[in-house]
Amino acid sequence: MKPPILIIVTSTIVLGTMIVLFSSHWLMIWIGFEMNMLAIIPILMKKFNPRAMEASTKYFLTQATASMLLMLGIIINLLYSGHWTISMIPNPVASTVITIALAMKLGLSPFHFWVPEVTQGVSLSSGMILLTWQKIAPLSVLYQISPSINPNLLVTMAATSVLVGGWGGLNQTQLRKILAYSSIAHMGWMAAIMVYNPTLMILNLAIYIMMTLGTFMLFMYNLSTTTLSLSHTWNKSPLIASLILALMLSLGGLPPLSGFIPKWMIIQELTKNDMIVMPTFMAITALLNLYFYMRLMYATALTMFPSANNMKMKWQFESTKKMILLPPLIVASTMLLPLTPMLSIMD
Amino acid sequence: MMMYIVFILSVVFVMGFVGFSSKPSPIYGGLVLIISGGVGCGIVLSFGGSFLGLMVFLIYLGGMLVVFGYTTAMATEQYPEVWVSNKAVLGAFIVGLLSELLIACYVLKDDEVEIVFKFNGMGDWVIYDTGDSGFFSEEAMGIAALYSYGTWLVIVTGWSLLIGVLVIMEVTRGN
Repeated sequence: MKPPILIIVTSTIVLGTMIVLFSSHWLMIWIGFEMNMLAIIPILMKKFNPRAMEASTKYFLTQATASMLLMLGIIINLLYSGHWTISMIPNPVASTVITIALAMKLGLSPFHFWVPEVTQGVSLSSGMILLTWQKIAPLSVLYQISPSINPNLLVTMAATSVLVGGWGGLNQTQLRKILAYSSIAHMGWMAAIMVYNPTLMILNLAIYIMMTLGTFMLFMYNLSTTTLSLSHTWNKSPLIASLILALMLSLGGLPPLSGFIPKWMIIQELTKNDMIVMPTFMAITALLNLYFYMRLMYATALTMFPSANNMKMKWQFESTKKMILLPPLIVASTMLLPLTPMLSIMD
Repeated sequence: MMMYIVFILSVVFVMGFVGFSSKPSPIYGGLVLIISGGVGCGIVLSFGGSFLGLMVFLIYLGGMLVVFGYTTAMATEQYPEVWVSNKAVLGAFIVGLLSELLIACYVLKDDEVEIVFKFNGMGDWVIYDTGDSGFFSEEAMGIAALYSYGTWLVIVTGWSLLIGVLVIMEVTRGN
């Protein structure tokens, strides 16, 4: 893509999300979502192969349907409350429709079917933007309407999301699909806590974005999109192999890495609200997630898979990829656990 | 009859929408959209918005739909699909028409309809007076407000339209 067009399109993606974050009028929020969706289509279609075009079409169709549902919810809210400001939504029909629309935008189960297919069909950098930046806008709107969301709906969607995210990722060898299912599971964790303490949802989002950005950049360093090509990293860049180990463990939510912070806080908050079955269920299904992260890590850093002899000569070539801000991301994704008591400033 | 003109026009409006959402070829969709646009202009006119109604004809029908007609004429196929040529399209059209007529009959009979929310019978469609704030019509005040209070909205929608064109150019580039 020519640089001026790339600059305009990228700035529109940022502008769309900013408009959603900074608006108090429901119409402007809807406009921000539409602008975001329109502008990310050329980013998804960077390579003009049929796979990318099919992925962009699927993304466009699901997001446009979600925007339509959002507009329906906004109008029903306007009919019953008479105003356009984003605040509590007293009417349950409007609240349910808006929640479902935003869940479709996020990829929460049962609207998760587009996430693996779209993430797999696009390049690694487009998938990175898709799974990190695109989650910010819907979660900010959900944060603002969180007092009036039907808790049963959200907790059901959260439970099915962590289940789908765990089970769906088990049979995958393609890295983009694994990260897509990981995104579904993390969205499930975020949705579960939204009704009780939306601040923890923002915490989970921040840590998830840092971890996913770091993971994608490590994969982009070797241009690896399958587990098999990831298993050659020990030869090309052994440092990347060990960083993948740390990051996978953090994604799985193991202490003493920072991926444990959101899970710990969420389980604590859920038990404070007298829910025992839900956090137990979520913690157990997080083990499914941990299994496929560990399989990736095993293939990369703990074993040397059998490979052809020419694969063992890759260390002679230097990689020319520029990894922006990768060291701070790695540090932030693995070493933030001792700072958890600082969360008390949010009370 | 003149009291219920908005109701009649809105029924025709919805029937027009059913006509193109049952997915015939885009040429026929554009044809139905012309009729729906004209009827929509009539609805806006009935509420006193003369300027906006004429804007619908000028900009929407005379600008956007003309461009749409030209592009579909370039991209059309040899035997475009019309409503009676395909059972699916015909079925969708008839189902849509029947449901609209059913709801219209309910409204006329009961004076109120509740599907998700209540339509208060004819109260929402009958025009008793046109709104006005002082000496100017409400609609002209609204358009003036768009350029004074709503500057940010104009900037954002203008930028979105520009982005729409750029995105479509980028997507159909193909190399």
